[in-house]
Formats: sequence, structure tokens, C-alpha cells
Amino acid sequence: MRTTCPYCGVGCQVEPELKEGRVVRVLAPDIPPNHGALCVKGRFGLDFPFSGKRLLHPLVRESLNAPFRRATWEEALDFAAERLLDVLRRKGPEAIAVFPSAKTTNEEVYLAQKLARALLGTNNVDHCSRLCHSSSTAALSRSLGGASMTNPIEDIWKTDLFLVVGSNTTETHPVIAAMIKKRVRQGARMIVVDPRYTGMAEAATLWLRVRPGTDLFLLNAMARYILEADLWDRAYVEARTEGFEAWRASLEEYTLERAEAVTGVEREKIALAARLYATTERAGAYWAMGVTQHTKGTATAQALVNLALLTGKVGKEGAGLNPLRGQNNVQGAGDMGALPDVYPGYLKVAEEGARARFEALWGVPLNPRPGLRMTEVFEAIPEVEAIYLIGEDPVTSEPYQDHLKAKLAALPFLIVQDILENETTPFAHVVFPAASFLEKDGTFTNTDRRVQRVRKLLEPPGEARPDWWITQALGQRLAQALGRPWPTYPGPGAIWEEVRRAIPELMGGIAYARLEAAGVRWPCPREDHPGEAVLFRERFNTPTGRARFHPVDYTPPAEPPSEDYPFTLSTGRVLFHWHGGTLSRNSRLQEAYPELKVEVNPKDAERLGLQDGEPIYVVSRRGRIRARAWVTERTPEGVVYAPFHFAEAPANRLTLDALDPISRIPEYKVSAVRLEKVD
Amino acid sequence: MRLRVDGKDVEVQEGTLLLQVARVPTLCHHPHTETRGLCRICLVEVNGRLQPACATLAQEGMEVKTETEALRRLRKTLLEWLALTTDLSQAPELLALLERYGAEPARWPEVEGRKEREAVEDNPFFLRDYAKCVNCRRCVDACGDGVMGVYALTLEGRGLLAHPTTPLGRPLPETPCVFCGNCVQVCPTGALRPLALEVA
Repeated sequence: MRTTCPYCGVGCQVEPELKEGRVVRVLAPDIPPNHGALCVKGRFGLDFPFSGKRLLHPLVRESLNAPFRRATWEEALDFAAERLLDVLRRKGPEAIAVFPSAKTTNEEVYLAQKLARALLGTNNVDHCSRLCHSSSTAALSRSLGGASMTNPIEDIWKTDLFLVVGSNTTETHPVIAAMIKKRVRQGARMIVVDPRYTGMAEAATLWLRVRPGTDLFLLNAMARYILEADLWDRAYVEARTEGFEAWRASLEEYTLERAEAVTGVEREKIALAARLYATTERAGAYWAMGVTQHTKGTATAQALVNLALLTGKVGKEGAGLNPLRGQNNVQGAGDMGALPDVYPGYLKVAEEGARARFEALWGVPLNPRPGLRMTEVFEAIPEVEAIYLIGEDPVTSEPYQDHLKAKLAALPFLIVQDILENETTPFAHVVFPAASFLEKDGTFTNTDRRVQRVRKLLEPPGEARPDWWITQALGQRLAQALGRPWPTYPGPGAIWEEVRRAIPELMGGIAYARLEAAGVRWPCPREDHPGEAVLFRERFNTPTGRARFHPVDYTPPAEPPSEDYPFTLSTGRVLFHWHGGTLSRNSRLQEAYPELKVEVNPKDAERLGLQDGEPIYVVSRRGRIRARAWVTERTPEGVVYAPFHFAEAPANRLTLDALDPISRIPEYKVSAVRLEKVD
Repeated sequence: MRLRVDGKDVEVQEGTLLLQVARVPTLCHHPHTETRGLCRICLVEVNGRLQPACATLAQEGMEVKTETEALRRLRKTLLEWLALTTDLSQAPELLALLERYGAEPARWPEVEGRKEREAVEDNPFFLRDYAKCVNCRRCVDACGDGVMGVYALTLEGRGLLAHPTTPLGRPLPETPCVFCGNCVQVCPTGALRPLALEVA
């Protein structure tokens, strides 16, 4: 039976073959988006639901000092509801936060944010996008009025130039990378901007090895050069944009000379990249965490948006602005309103009309004040007294781990709802065991806005239940106590029907029955509508219908290297693992990549007398971890790269919690460290 | 343009492969790899000559026959030789073809075949069991130009000695292999198969 891969945002369609309750083989059907192709995670990493670390029974305890005791569902749900209601009565709705999960289905995310808003009255709702593409969505929303890829994955076959910035696509979105690389073999060009020699850099026509955190300077310099060389799309700028003159004036300082000094990339190469991008009609920009995970993440994403607008690349086939989304349903989590300032469909909490729509639908008055973002919620502990955390391991994924652990230890009430034990489970007061993607129905929305079915192939183990069931059961208790309406949904299909009614302009035409053949992209207002492939062909989703330039300025990273901490640490992922490792390290993938390897440039290794494979300590102002040195040219001199998947050697013990002022994303890509030999 | 297939008029667009209009068995052909005309199972008779349907473009006025006595004999022989040299026990589609064409491999003398090759288990994910390999090249193409652009697989040797392998015969973890298993997906004979199948 066909379902959707639970790893990255490509949304590959998979057909897991089960035998004696095990996944023995995974084949992929020849339909979009992957047309039969998979990566190692989808092909061989779908066995985590059978891990011995599955949570099988509800667990409760009064305090973190007490041991967990096994409870019935009734008991655990009653206990959780009472504690939430107690916080609500004593401290009010702002003292509670709900974090739906971008790993769960649209239906589950919708229900969890509805529970927060309609029952608890709080907009403290957020999800892990805060840590990954919140910078992109901030820039795209304010400029274009939409927060997603503007173009579909199939447009890769129509693209003549790829501008790939800060995306290790061959490891993080391997199936999309394979398509892009094939298109390059067919004759398209590819410019890759990345400090690391990634698989994309290897396949590039032109690789710009920027110093970490200087992409913004490079992008602004490209824009300035394009203006100077008169290669910009004047007609497009005049007809479709606003704010151009003020932005243009802001570029004065971004000369090629200065760009060379700041980024370390020769000026001729910057000029060539600018020229190629501006003069290729079908040029698409693709980017990921290398752009977003900086204190200037929003500004850098904005620089990319400005560049695309200047050259008329948005609203056209084979071009566009394409943030590659990380989680399987991170696009959907945003679409379903798992954000502190918007309801489902990105309708603003602070706008009366939007509020009225959901007040009517849910039959309750709603809180007009936007809530806290995820990174702010943790900071607000203990003013925030209760968190309902679904499918996430912040101890591994948030920056500055020791600080976060101290915050969680001070949190009076934490509900952890997950399929597997992880590093955050020890901080929970209630543990709800959830069903994995193989054990429930629903939909995920992939990176190019395609809503696709998730199908139940197996019964959940033990007493584990689907997330929607758990949220619904908790909601019933809260609703009863608060005297608020809370319909009982017989299944995910009924929840989806409510989503269609809530935001018909986006999802109205997407019925489950239509998803049998293949997924359908939003916006899709009617059942006879094919779903929109390229966004903004005629107008942008802004009040004026025009896209807006925003001036952005280069600022240095929050923690530059120093004498004591001479290296720049950049964190990220590797092909074989997934984020906090909860899934991939409980699968066959673990065998292929069992421990942390930190990339060190050969010149640095020589200076420090490090051999390839030697154990080392990586030390920042916030902590130290032990790793194995991987001496490789992949990383430039002065930079070390550490994936963050390894709980026993967590890269996020080292990272700092400096945040982007707009998106509040942490600066995962730049912190200062030193390397020490292990004696 | 118009052509005749097994006596029936067919209207097709320019650039159509005969495979799209002729219902013939295939082996090395796969929509996402770039192998053409290797296995000869899809041969058809075009104006009296034998041509591979997977590699021949339809042309105006062609007279195509897909199932003549000569073609049946040819397919039968090709399939018998495959069965003679290769372990087809995990290739249900090929076994069905053998039956359909009444193949009798035993009518040929024994040849030194691939059946004795030992399976290579050099990674945590899949087995390379070349005793079951018919050299269709799909894996090589899926790994290379067809899908991944990784080039961790290649074909070595000639004739009955030909077989897929890695560059310099290195274990897969020492090659550019990314373990996507797209080679496993396209393998028609179970020569490449997930290790998870073995333990189950």
C-alpha cells in the first residue's frame, strides 16, 4: 500500500512491503514527486517503528524527582487535563504553550493548534520551523505574501540555471538533488554558494566558497553589480514590485571589491554569478539552512528575494524562489496554523476578520494577541508553566543545551507525546505514546505544497494511539471542564473536512478521494481545480498585489572566532541521519553512520597534529563534546562542521542561543570553538 | 503519423518508441534508466527485419509484427540461455515469460554460468547477488546517468564473464555509493535485494 515517506520535505511516495510485521522492502511508485526514486532514508530507514525504544504505555508522575508510573489512558488524560486547567486558572492562557509537530499529519497539527486556541485560549503555538525556515517564511511573507516554494519540483526540468545557496541538497533532499544534477547533465548550469565542498558544489558549474555567514554580502553585491551592468528586468520591477528606489539606495556599499574582502570569493566569480543569474530567463533559486540559521537569517533570505525580484524571476515557470523544507510535514504544519501569529491558511490572529472566521467555525471567542515563538517560550519558563510538546526533542535540537535543560528542569508541567524515547522524555510529567506514520491515516504536505496521503498499514504497538486521537481525547476533557464546544471526530477524514471548510481558498478542492491517484497542490479552491503549480503568475498575495523590496544590511555573526576559540563551528545534517536522531538512530541507518564525525580541514589538522579518525574534543564557551576528527577538504580552513544528530555528543551543547531579531531563529551555523586532543 | 502493428492501423506522434505501441515483453528497458536494445527480448519485426522496440522510433508506414513464429523462437532461446546461466529463482516476471514461451533450458548443454557466483554483502542495506544477474544494466544506469549521477556501479568483462561491479571492485562503502537503493528498485531479477528480506 502506498504512503508518504516520513523523513524530509520532498514527500516521496513509498510502498513499504511488510512481512510478519516488519518492513522488508520499500519500493517507490512511478508518480510525483519522486517517480520511483528514493534516498537511503526512505529506502532503508523506515524500520524505526519496530524499535525496542517505542513508547508503549502512558506514563505519569507528580514531579521530576519521582519515577514514572504506568497509567491507563483515562488516568493519564485526566491527570494532564487537570494540570493544564490548574495552570489556566492560576496563571491564564499565556502560561501554556502547545507545540504541534511537523512530523505529524495535517489533521493532527490542525487539531493541536485548535486545542490551544479554542480551548486553552493561547496563541503560544509553534513548531520546529522556528529552528529551520522561519527566516525564509518571514522574508517571503512580507515581500510576496506567501511562505512556500513558489515553483513545483517538476519545474526543475524546465530550469536552465540553478542558484543553490546554503543547501547540502545531496544529503538533505537527495531525491531533489538527483533531479537537479540530472538537469545539469542535460545542459543546465548550477551556481552553488556554500563554504563546504558538498555534493552540490561538486556538481556545480560555478562554486562560490563564501566564508560562513557572509552570503548576504555576496547576494547584495550581486544585486548591485546587476544594477550597475544594467542587466535587471526594468519592466518587471516597474509593473510588479514596490520599494525599489529605497532598496537600490541601500546597496551603495556592496561593491564587488568589498564583497571579495568580506566573503573571500574573487570579484570576477561574483560578477560571473550575477551575470549568469540575471541573464538566464529560467533561473531558479533554491536554498536551505545555510541561509536561514543565522542571526541575519531573515535578512539573508530577503537578499535572495530582492535579487529574484530585481531580475524578474518570480511567477515564472522554471524559476522562482524555492526554500527546500526540511520535515516531511513542515509545510503542512505552517499551513495548519502551528504558528503563534496565524491561524490555518496564514490568516492573521491579530486581524479581526480572520479571527471572526475561526470564532464562527469553532464557536468560541479567540485570543487576539499573537503568542510567543518556540525559542521565546523556553526562555519564558517559569512564567510559562505548562508545555504540551508533540513529536519533538528540543534537548537535542535547540541551541545551548545546558541552558535549555535547566529551563526544562524548572518547567512545572511538561507533556511529551512521541513515538520513541528521546533526550526530552526525562523532563516530562506525562508521556503519551503515539502511533508512527505506518500506524495511522492522514495527510502530509511536502515542500512544493503537495498534499499527500499517509496510510495505516499496521496497528500501533502496545497502547500507542494516533496523535489525533490523543489530542482529541485531551480536548474532550478540557472542553467539558471549560464548557466549550469540541466535536468528536470519528477519524482524520472528518478533521480534514473541517480544514477544507476553514480555509476553502487553499484546501477546498482537496478531497481525500482525489489523493488516491497522486497528491494535489494547494492553493486548490475547488474539486475541479488542478492545484496551483507556479505561484504569483499575475499578482502577489500582498495588499497592493505587488512584491516589496526590503533593504537588508550585512552584520557579522554574533560570536566570531577569538584567540581562545579560533574555529567557526557550523552544524547541520548528514545523509544517513535525521535531525535529533530519534528516528534514524533507531533504524538500520545507524549501522552506516554510528557516531559523530567532525569535519576538519587538512591544514588545520596538520597545525594541531590531528590524524584522520582521531578522537578530539570540540569546546565552545558553553560546553564540550567528544568526536572523531574527519580530516577533509570538504570544510574550509578555520571551519569545523558537526552534525547534530548524536545525543551522546550533542553539537547543540556547543551552539549559542543568539537569535535573529525577526524570525527568532538561532545562529546554528556560526559559533566559536576550539579543538583539543584527547590524551 | 500512421503505422500498422499486427495488422491494425495505429496513429502516433513523432518521437514515439515502438515499445509504446507494441505489446512485447521487456527486460533491460526501464522508464527511468537509459539502457536501449541490450537484452533483445523486445525485438519486433519491422518491414521484415528484427528491431528492438525499446530503441526504435515509430515511422510513417511501418509494418510491425510483434509475435511471429520467428520472434517466438528467438525469445524462447534467449530466455533459455538466461535460465541456463543465471539463477532466476527471484525473478517471477522472467519465470512467467519462460513459461509463456515454453522454454526448455535443458535442451542445451550445460555452460559455465554465473550461477556459482557468491553474493557480496559489503554494506548494511542490500545484497549484491550476481548469481541472479542477467546484465541488464538497469542498476548501472539508475546509479549513473538515469537517476542518481553517482556512478558507483559499472559493467566489467565481456560475454558470459560480464558482470556489474564497483569501480576497481571496491566494497560499496568505499565508493561514491549513497545507498539510495535505486539500483535495488530497478533490478528485475532480485540480484540486488534488501538485507531485510533475508532475515525475515
